[in-house]
Amino acid sequence: MLRVMALSLWRDRAGLVLVFVLPPLVYVVFASVFGAGISGRLDIRAEVFDQTNSADSHRLIDALRHRLDGRLTLAPNVAALEEAIQSGRADAGLVLAGNFAEVKTPVTVLIHPGRKAAGELLTAQVNAVATQDLPELMLRRETARLAPILQLTPDQNRHLTALPQNLVPPPPFAAQQVLPGSDPLQIYYGGAVSILFLMFTAMQGAMTLIDERRAGLRLRQVLSVGGIAPLLGGRMLWLTALGVVQALVLFTVAAIAFRVPLLENFAAWSATAICSAAASAGIALGLAAACRTREQAQPVSTFIFLVLAAVGGSMAPRFLMPEMLQRLGWLTPHAWVIDAYQTVLSRGLVNTAVVQAWAVLFGFAAAGFAAALVIEGRRQL
Amino acid sequence: MAVEPTEAVLRLDQISRRYGNRIALDQVTLELTAGEVYALIGRNGAGKSSLAKAAIGALALDAGLVQILGADPRDDLKVRRAIGIAPQDVALYPHLTISENLNAFAALAGLSRRERAAAVAHAMDDAVCAERADERVDHLSGGWQRRANLAAAIVHRPRLLVLDEPTEGLDVETRLVLHRLIARLRADRTAILLISHNTEDVAVLADRLGVMEAGRLIMEGRPDTLMTEAFGGRTELVIRLSAATPSIEPVLAAHGLTPSDGGLCWSGTVADAFTHALEIEMALLWADVKLRELTVQPPGLDALIGWVTGSVAP
Repeated sequence: MLRVMALSLWRDRAGLVLVFVLPPLVYVVFASVFGAGISGRLDIRAEVFDQTNSADSHRLIDALRHRLDGRLTLAPNVAALEEAIQSGRADAGLVLAGNFAEVKTPVTVLIHPGRKAAGELLTAQVNAVATQDLPELMLRRETARLAPILQLTPDQNRHLTALPQNLVPPPPFAAQQVLPGSDPLQIYYGGAVSILFLMFTAMQGAMTLIDERRAGLRLRQVLSVGGIAPLLGGRMLWLTALGVVQALVLFTVAAIAFRVPLLENFAAWSATAICSAAASAGIALGLAAACRTREQAQPVSTFIFLVLAAVGGSMAPRFLMPEMLQRLGWLTPHAWVIDAYQTVLSRGLVNTAVVQAWAVLFGFAAAGFAAALVIEGRRQL
Repeated sequence: MAVEPTEAVLRLDQISRRYGNRIALDQVTLELTAGEVYALIGRNGAGKSSLAKAAIGALALDAGLVQILGADPRDDLKVRRAIGIAPQDVALYPHLTISENLNAFAALAGLSRRERAAAVAHAMDDAVCAERADERVDHLSGGWQRRANLAAAIVHRPRLLVLDEPTEGLDVETRLVLHRLIARLRADRTAILLISHNTEDVAVLADRLGVMEAGRLIMEGRPDTLMTEAFGGRTELVIRLSAATPSIEPVLAAHGLTPSDGGLCWSGTVADAFTHALEIEMALLWADVKLRELTVQPPGLDALIGWVTGSVAP
């Protein structure tokens, strides 16, 4: 049975592409989009309306444009700026008004209600630019604010307001230090995309059960001296092996493209991959056995797998979900797979939680396979 | 698994199976001995394919007993090796070559790796498909696929072979291959259960014939004996008219003929065909109805099925 299925896949070139090329591609897209966004490299586009049109406002715009890699354009008026934000051409906008040294809040950040994160980011960038790139301006503002307390002499005051523009900026109050290790979101999406495609791949393989039933092959198979159990067992083994290879291809791409530490934790990764592939194979076989036709199996399995993927965290990170959905996620194999990969690859651990995940996944595999065995056995006789 | 000359290879005893309200098999009893070709005929839905599945132990029964070489194939996995089946559809793995398919089925039947090579070669020779051994099944024409389907049924040298509509859609050459194969298997004392709509094949190949109707085996026996029993010395008279003529219909009906093809064709089995033919010709002349064709022939199996099921009067 293993040889039959291997030869069938090898000669189905389109199937090979779907099994081994598509999942890594989708992973790279997911990991790049979501991984970068949530881990801090969000490339926002902004527009600015400069009502002040002063030397200070020009310096602020130049410095900001430099920080945003040029993704800052000028708007002719406030209406045009608002229109750019509403239409999505700009993620957020700035209105510069009044004398920077005197007005309490000379910069207003315009934020679209659906893109609040972009507004937060732009606000932080403006504050950083003001502190780091316009230090003498900030000092003048602070001097003016603190003048009643400091009671400066006219000389001191004149001296402070005549500060040169190349004043050394103050040292940052907080400094960043990125800890060693790969981005956990790249690992998260490795597990998430892997289990998503494992399910679909296993289902495609399991649906040959239905094809064989329809073509009359099952009549020949039930005459085998071993009965139906070894035939289903062979299929289970094949789908598990195929799933492990598929996961290996995906995580190899993750290791190369995103430095996911695959080799360093290969043994624990292998156990997780085997358990997740077996769970997918078992569930797919159970579903294929329960369905009478491909026309039934295709939409039913797609619906179930998409729901499992959504609740289990394959589409959006579980930590962003409401508490209730996070708890519900533990009913899906997806949540266990993602959790196990994260612990194994991100933290390099095989702890109780990982062993528990392996056990749960093995349980999914056993339950699915047992269901397939019972249903096919009843259908046979 | 040696078989004594008189030993029953297949024994079905009072088997019954219902699907809801529909009766698929109704107390069917049948015995098939080594080297015998037993043909099952009947209309669509009569229960032939259900009986074939029951015969190989692939159908759960409501009642009755199935034995192959004395053992129940539903319980005894070993006896399954003695069964071969060529289902109505081409039951092969489409992405595999003929020889790979045969290897797979030989392995399923429990043949060792060493036995398989010889068995595959032998089966391909018997089914005359060796010249396409290394071609993928989905690249073959329908006729070659049918040959491969047959080869897969016999690769493990079964003692009981079930052929479900084996000549459906076959060209003349492949039908001859099948006829020669059945003759060879019969000589090797393989018991063959042949399900067919093709009455010509059945007439040539079958040692015994069973007619099924509504899940029941309503008649069985040797084809020539059944024909004599059904029709005695009667022959079949077939008349084709150039146009349907209501005025002549009572005359034709009075001669025991029944209409088909919208009243253009009338046929029936009659005792003295030539007297009937003469009288009918005269009546047609009087009515000025043009006769296109008049045939007098021995009754075929179609007529037998019609007679057995009551749709044709003897």
